[in-house]
Amino acid sequence: MGRYIIRRVIQAIPLLFLVSIAMFGLIHLMPGGPVGVFLNPHLSAEGRAAINARFGLNQPLPVQYVKWLLNTFQGNFGFSFVTNQSVTQVLGEHFPPTLELFSSALLLALIVAVFLGTVSGARQGSVLDYSVTTLSYFGISMPIFFLGLLAQEVFGIWLHALPVSGQSTAGIVFDPFNAAWDQLNHLILPMLILSITFIAGWSRYMRSSMVEVRKQDYIRTARAKGASTSSVLIHHALRNALIPLITVVAIDFGSIAGGAAITETVFAWPGMGQLFISSLEARDYPVLLSMLILGAVFVIIANLLADILYAIIDPRIRYS
Amino acid sequence: MDSSEQLNTTIFDDEEPIIELTSALVQKRRSQGRIIFDRFLSNRTAMIGAIFLILMLAICFLGPTITGHNNPDFLHLADGGGTFSPPSWQFPLGTDDVGRDQFARAMDGGQVSLIIGLSSMAISIVLGVVIGALAGYFGGIIDNILMRLTDVVLSVPLYLLLFVLSTVLTDHSPRSVIFLISIFGWTTMARLVRSEFIAQKEREYVMAARTIGAKNFRLMFRHILPNAAGPIIVNATLLVGNNIILESVLSFFGFGIQPPYATWGNMIAYGQGFMDTDALLVIIPGLLIFLTVLSFNLVGDGLRDALDPYMTER
Repeated sequence: MGRYIIRRVIQAIPLLFLVSIAMFGLIHLMPGGPVGVFLNPHLSAEGRAAINARFGLNQPLPVQYVKWLLNTFQGNFGFSFVTNQSVTQVLGEHFPPTLELFSSALLLALIVAVFLGTVSGARQGSVLDYSVTTLSYFGISMPIFFLGLLAQEVFGIWLHALPVSGQSTAGIVFDPFNAAWDQLNHLILPMLILSITFIAGWSRYMRSSMVEVRKQDYIRTARAKGASTSSVLIHHALRNALIPLITVVAIDFGSIAGGAAITETVFAWPGMGQLFISSLEARDYPVLLSMLILGAVFVIIANLLADILYAIIDPRIRYS
Repeated sequence: MDSSEQLNTTIFDDEEPIIELTSALVQKRRSQGRIIFDRFLSNRTAMIGAIFLILMLAICFLGPTITGHNNPDFLHLADGGGTFSPPSWQFPLGTDDVGRDQFARAMDGGQVSLIIGLSSMAISIVLGVVIGALAGYFGGIIDNILMRLTDVVLSVPLYLLLFVLSTVLTDHSPRSVIFLISIFGWTTMARLVRSEFIAQKEREYVMAARTIGAKNFRLMFRHILPNAAGPIIVNATLLVGNNIILESVLSFFGFGIQPPYATWGNMIAYGQGFMDTDALLVIIPGLLIFLTVLSFNLVGDGLRDALDPYMTER
């Protein structure tokens, strides 16, 4: 197992190289460039050249890439063109809110999807099963930003029940308990909206996996030797039905990150998604590049974790 | 030896068939395509989706001419429209902040959204099938390049990559957004076709065709491709819905199609600013996207069930 993990990590290195080259090229293909986007349009040619030289943008692209790569290996990810802070600092500020939103939505989606999928798979053809299927069709077909806007309208404007933007109430200093309560209130809507698409997709997957597993002989054997229905469902069926779901969840990690970016923008959540959109508009190359590559690292790790989880859940799977 | 004799006798048997062909049995003789089509027709949810899509296409493309709501950019300030007017006989979906007819705009935007969904699907299919077939059939360099390319595309979070690509590749016109979405969608299609081809190319019927002298090109597109058609058709249908959502996300964030063109996505983005005054400006285009994508998903799943050879006819 240990050797397998090491081999997989080594295999990921050329892929990351390819990703970094592709993203580096792509970013520099964007029209405008930092000088054109956010500096004084009346700047003289010499002024432009000076700024380009300051950011190192006057060198040929391959040279810029190699320099960026060498710096990255030394843990120096560059400095934001906009704020002049180091990229590590910029990302460090925006990472915690995204982590909060991402992990809470992921957890919620997993729990709800596994529960709904298991129950509707076990009670195939029941009213509950049909409602879960119908709801999952709704969730899959609904654009996430439209759902977010609707939720803001209903819970914020009509019901006045929940805050619709930001991570905490601005301008008020709370004691620690109320501050946590305030943050939780702000989290509820974005978390729900982000998780709904994935609840829809995963519960459908979980359901069909459950239906498939329940036809297996070992389920009948377990029932025959006297195990109770619920015990068979939880210990025998659920465990086996989870295996295919793991791959789907791992593959969807990238989409959750993208969905988080959309949700953050709709709910003015001060995380990486917002940072990405604003850096894209400002052509902030170092920040953009780091975020894209961080995203790729994240997806690759998720896929590796999925393969390791397989082996834990299903001891028959051996990697060599 | 025994079996071959038996085979000969059954093939050249001139005797009367043992089972008499009653009218009930004759009726059951249908072509494979007919069976699949009948199975699809009897799937109620899929048919609702299909009928809705046909209606949607008809309304969006013929509606402006038939109903006379053919001027989405006209400002109806003087002729009874006014701003933010609620739905009425004259303006079935009301008017927006500058008095534009929302019904006309919804149909106009629907044309663009549907064209983008359908045509980028078509381009993705052509690219995906050709490249996936070459990679799956021949393996080697094409296969390697394809797999590395899709690895790169799959490892970067989808929307982030899409946003960056949109600034590089589009000028925010419908044509450039179609181009963007289709070069984005072909990779998954190519993976699917590739795996189908790898699974099919060692099958007996391919060997048989090769034995009687069929060339590679013929084997790929006349023999293997029809056998891989099921998953391709199903995914193509689901891809249309997906593409419509991608377009709406791009347009909502201002990376996709921009005014003067209306699409359902940028209508939501535009209406978002007037959510307090007139929520209909957001809800109508949003519902149209939702119902259209839902219908494509229902039809796609209906096709999957209809094409599934394990679902026996009852």
